[in-house]
Parts: sequence; C-alpha cells; structure tokens
Amino acid sequence: MSAIIAMTKRMIPAVATRGRLLTMALVGGIGIAIGIVLRRADLAVADLDQFVASFGFTIFVPLVALVISTATLGSLREDKTLIYLWLRPIGRWMIAAAAILAGVVVLLPLILIPMGVIGAITGETDSIVGALGGSLVGLVSYLFVFTMLGLFTQRALAWGLLYVLVWEGIIAGFSQGAGQLAIRTYARAAMSHLSGTEVIVDPPAGSTVIIVTVGVAAVSFLATTWRLNSMTVD
Amino acid sequence: MTAVPPPPTPAVEAAAPPPPRPSVLQVTNVSKWFGDVVAVSDVSFHVQPGVTALLGPNGAGKSTLLRMIAGLTPPSQGTVRVFGEDPRSDRATRGRIGIVPQQESLFQEQRALDFVTLAGVLNGVPDAEAQARHQLEVVELDPDDTRPIATFSKGMRQRVKFAQALIHGPSLLLLDEPLTGLDPRQRIHMTQLIRSLGESGVCVIVSSHVLEEVERLGSDVMVIAQGRMAARGDFHGIRELMDDRPHRIRIGASDARRLGSALVARAGITGLTVVDDHSLVVDTDDAPVFRRSIAALARDAAVTINEVQPLDDDLESVFKYLVGR
Repeated sequence: MSAIIAMTKRMIPAVATRGRLLTMALVGGIGIAIGIVLRRADLAVADLDQFVASFGFTIFVPLVALVISTATLGSLREDKTLIYLWLRPIGRWMIAAAAILAGVVVLLPLILIPMGVIGAITGETDSIVGALGGSLVGLVSYLFVFTMLGLFTQRALAWGLLYVLVWEGIIAGFSQGAGQLAIRTYARAAMSHLSGTEVIVDPPAGSTVIIVTVGVAAVSFLATTWRLNSMTVD
Repeated sequence: MTAVPPPPTPAVEAAAPPPPRPSVLQVTNVSKWFGDVVAVSDVSFHVQPGVTALLGPNGAGKSTLLRMIAGLTPPSQGTVRVFGEDPRSDRATRGRIGIVPQQESLFQEQRALDFVTLAGVLNGVPDAEAQARHQLEVVELDPDDTRPIATFSKGMRQRVKFAQALIHGPSLLLLDEPLTGLDPRQRIHMTQLIRSLGESGVCVIVSSHVLEEVERLGSDVMVIAQGRMAARGDFHGIRELMDDRPHRIRIGASDARRLGSALVARAGITGLTVVDDHSLVVDTDDAPVFRRSIAALARDAAVTINEVQPLDDDLESVFKYLVGR
C-alpha cells in the first residue's frame, strides 16, 4: 500500500499543474455563472436540472476527466519517466491503482464542487444530490477509461475528445443502441433517479447504472494493467 | 542500424575468459527488429559479476540490448535470462536490477531526495529516505538540496539517476552511457565507483562509445557494431585487434609519384593510390611499422612529406572492420 501511496503522491503534482487546474476551474466557473443567469430567469426546476445535466454530463465532467486522467500515466509515458515506476519489484496493477487514486484526488474537488454548486443553484436538495450522484458516476467511468486511453495511445486527448464530442455528443443522440455505449447516458440516468427529474428519456435502471459503471471501471483497470505488463517502456 | 536480414556473424573471441562462475546474465540468440530495421542481430553472450563494457558506435544497438536485458522491451527472437529468470515478467528479478537509462528525463518537479526515496520505497528498501540520503552523498550530491530536479545540470541529473539505481543494492547494474555530461572530476569519481561496484561482486554492464572510458573501467569488453557482436575480450585484446587491422593513410608530399614508387615494393603495403602530384593514399596492414619508417623512406627518395593523415582511425571505421572480419 505504501508503494501505491508513494506513486500517487508523485503523480498528483505532475497531473495537477497550475495551468490545468485554472483552466478546469474556469470551465466550472462558466457553468456556475450560466446557472445563476438561468436561475434569475425564473426557469422551472426541471429546466434547471436539464441545464445541469446538459452542461455537466456533456461538457464539464467528461472534459475535466479527460484532461486529468489521460495525463496520469500518459504523461509518464510521453516524457519517458515511466521506467522509474515500471522497473520496480511491484505488481503493475499497483501503478494503475496509483494513477486512478491520483485521478480521484484531483478530480473529486475539481468536478464535485462546481457540480454541487450548479445543482444548488436550483435550490432543490434532490437536484444537488442528483448532480453529485450523476457526476460521481461520470467521474468514475471517465477516469478509468481515459486513464487506460492515456497508456494505449500517444494521442489520448484527441481520441478522448473524439469520443466525447462525436460519439457521445452526436452519434449517441441519434441511436438508443449507441446511447447504451455512452458514459453520459449512465451519468444522466443516475441524476434522473436521484433527483426525480427526467433528464434522460427512458433511463436505464439504477442497478444497471451501478453494474455498468463498475463493469467499465473493472474492464478498463484490467486493460490498463495488461497494457503495463505487455508494453515496451522507453 | 542494419537492413534486414543480415547474416549472423560469429563473434571474434579475443582472449575471452572461461566462465568459472554461474552467469548473472544469459543472452541467447537475441535479435530485435523494429519494422524493417534490425537493431540487434542474433547476439549471444553470458556475463558474470564484475564490470563488462558494451562498446560500440552510436546506433550500434547497445541501448536496445540493455533495454532487453532490463526487460523494458522483449526480444523479437531469442531469450534473455537474468539470474535464470525472464526480467520482463519476474518481479523478484526486477528487484535485483538497477538501471541508469540514457534519457535525461526525470520527475522534474521533485527534489533529488524525493526522487531517490521513491525508488527506495518501490524497491522495498527499509528506511528509504536515509538510504536515499546516503546514495546521494555517494554520488556527491547534497541530499538537502531543495531545488527541483528540473533546475539541475546534465551532470547532476546523471548522478541522480545513479543514486536511484543504487539505492536497493542491485546485483545487476545497467548503465547506458553513464559518464555523459559529467565533468572530468566527476568522471573519475564515477569510474572509481563503477570499478568498486564490480569488484564488490555486482554485475555491472556499461555501454559506451568511447574506447578510453572503457579502458579506465578495466573491464571485460564486448564490441557491438551494426547490431552484432563484433568482438569480445579484455581491453588489451580488443585494443590489439583494433591496432592489427589494415589502415588507410593519406600522405601529402612534394612528389607523390616518386614517393609512391619507393613505397610500392615495401612489405606491409597492401595498396597504393596516387591521388595527384602531391598526394597519395596508402593501405597498410602494419601501421606502426609504416609510421616509423615513412620519414626515412621519404628522405632516401628525396621527397618532402607535408602531411600524414590516417583516414580510418575513428571508432566507426574500427567497428566496421571488426564486423566485417
């Protein structure tokens, strides 16, 4: 365990650079500002919830998770310092676990605080819980998937953006089948169940949301570990 | 690097010592290729405790070989065994390897002490920080230096890499061009450190493209060129092998034709080309004798020599010759 914590401590400052934190906080701030404007326009709670889901699960959560998660292992690979973790007598899963832990430490405040504030703007407790619950589902899935992506490709940011913008943003909107393969579907579903507002039509059941989220995380984690075991390290 | 597929060339053994002890490292018929380019071609050797140098020009395949030994990349063909195990998959074996890679990148925002301590923690070293302090002192760095590694000079980074490689007391130490960036005093210090590690029973493999560096390490030498093992032996054996090869020498003279006529019948001259009235190129298989005799020969022929210039004394030419034998 001390090895995982030691690696996590090393990864956090490397990932949470001032530039990244300020940019992500700025995006969250823009969301909060828009939420305040909408609130003053006397929109219904359901409409405000719809904004929370649209902004949060289409732009904010995936974008922040993408930038941070792809950097945890991806930056080590790119700057050729992975060797200093890889060539140690530890299980390679521990390196993956440290990357996930570092991602959690950085992403939790970076995502949950703005999303909690945006949810609170509606003034409804259920909306806050829904925003936080949906964010948590999105955070976990995106974190594991994008951490894996950072290790598999040197253009993780570009591929991640392609997934978020094209697959989730366009294709998943047209087809229900494709929607089942979009993380944001489950984040929205979690918010729907927790807030009681229908921010997605015909949301998957709560148990499905949990199973899919855990499944995505587990498969991504196994793939990351497999990749660490089989890759060539520069 | 060599285009595929080159025929395997048997290594030239120059006074190779017999293997009295079990090998730390066994490399058997190892090749590594990247697409159409062969980086290492059918290399086999074993290494025992002590210092062994991998000598070869840049791009010869030394780093690729070291990376395969460390398990960082798998061989395309053949096997690498460290203490009888595959270093890529055996966790315990990884714990017995220390490496100073060639790349400069380190965890830039960290202090040297934190970086080396992390290496200790991951290697399961008890009281890793105290050990990290000790190792930094061994390489003559200040453990209490609060500056991030990003501000360090190339030589300081090199020493940080050394410290992290030594912290767990490795049995196999892989050093890829370890003296690069060090000032002369540090080179001497590091050379002594490498020698003492070898004498204490650590198996140290050092890659270098500088013959004089290898000489100072007093090591067994493996010459790698064009991805192949060109020669192996102690330094003096390799040195002799290099000196005994044919040499090509350009001579500038007042009358190249007359000097050429005087030279052509001499023993040891295997080729002669008059380039122009004042220049000729001589091939000789006994360069030391040629150098000693050329002045007297020119005097006897009433020719003034302006220049004697070896054309193939660089290491590149030496390695090419060894590979082509």
